[in-house]
Amino acid sequence: MGVFVFLPLVLPLTAWPIARLAEQHLHPRTATRLLTAVAAVMAACSTLCLALVMVVGTAQLPGNPLPDGWSDPEVRAAVPYDEIVGKAAIPALCAVVAACARTLWRHARVRRRAHRALAGLPGTGVAVLPDETPYAYALPGGRRDRVVVTTGLLERLRPAERRALFAHERAHLAGGHHRFLLTVQLAARANPFLRPLRTAVAYTAERWADEEAARHVGSRRTVAHAIGKAALVSRGTPAPTLAGLAAPGPVPRRVAALLGPEPAVRRWPSLFTAVGLAAWCAAAGTALSAMSSANAAVTMVLILHTATPL
Amino acid sequence: MTERGQGARRRGQGELEALVLSALGEADGPATAGWVRERLGCDLAYTTVITILTRLLAKGAVTRERSGRSFAWTPAADQAGLAAHRMRRVLDAESDREAVLASFVTGLGPDDERLLRDLLGRAGHTGRTHSEGED
Repeated sequence: MGVFVFLPLVLPLTAWPIARLAEQHLHPRTATRLLTAVAAVMAACSTLCLALVMVVGTAQLPGNPLPDGWSDPEVRAAVPYDEIVGKAAIPALCAVVAACARTLWRHARVRRRAHRALAGLPGTGVAVLPDETPYAYALPGGRRDRVVVTTGLLERLRPAERRALFAHERAHLAGGHHRFLLTVQLAARANPFLRPLRTAVAYTAERWADEEAARHVGSRRTVAHAIGKAALVSRGTPAPTLAGLAAPGPVPRRVAALLGPEPAVRRWPSLFTAVGLAAWCAAAGTALSAMSSANAAVTMVLILHTATPL
Repeated sequence: MTERGQGARRRGQGELEALVLSALGEADGPATAGWVRERLGCDLAYTTVITILTRLLAKGAVTRERSGRSFAWTPAADQAGLAAHRMRRVLDAESDREAVLASFVTGLGPDDERLLRDLLGRAGHTGRTHSEGED
């Protein structure tokens, strides 16, 4: 097994080029699904390997509940630098579990509170709130999925743009985009190298809903205008980007994409383009990650099985 | 002692506030907490009704004036206004709500506003010539 057990911890780096390029070159639906799947597999592999290393690391500690045989020299030989890495893996795995639990808990809490805030309103699919602050979002779950929008935002949009807004939010709900977002968030918690994938999926999911809205409304420009206007009227919210990094934010990129031609739905990009190369690189990294963690898991189970006195 | 909290808590604060507010809305003019409690005709304790009314007062959803030894309450906001207020509080409390709720738009970066105005301005122009050409 050797150093291969550590591979899944660093292989998420191979997903970085595709995270960047998929946003621009793949259809947003394909990009969202691909990046989420890659993130989920890599996060699972990375966590599994962390757990395997931890088993070996913990087995040597006195007073642990694991069988004594698990700390035999033969077992420890399976993992290089087992003393240091094994001990380091314990807090690392605890941190991963805690961060994931916290993310899940927060997710559930925000959704629960938002649904509770709407109690007393008629149970329609759209909840219009009399509030001057312009905002809108899709709220999944509860008794039924709802679109929440304020009068402050609706007032500033023309009828066609309102239709675009509702179509966008409904696309989020119909496509279950919150599941993709939650998955990549958990993945980013499991392995910090997967953070670029979270940013990328947050963007491609919006683009996906934009494209659906454009198809529904029948005008890409209307959707672009709705997004642009909504962003300009709600610009008072502090931007989560650093002022020094003046790369175009997600909103102008979405508007620019909508003003451009409709993205083509391609099966799988050719290897000889930048995006194709990146996609193959990510696919190879994911496959390698899955294989080495499966290999590590099987080897470890076999070793531990023989080392366990029955 | 089960009649007080249990059922009420299961129903949730938001729903109770909405119930009390709608009861107040049905009154002709200011109403007392006792009247609200009778109107709701349920298992709510008097103190619970007072608590909910006080909470609504803090949210600016009701106003009160002294009448004799107690208060008379008048609704100031309707259900939707109250829901809007509660939603704002939920959103303000969650710093990374962007991560949970897919908002229509996210915040704009420093150069984004100019960029966006450029894009929309250009789109407006080309759009007009396009539609004229197509028609």
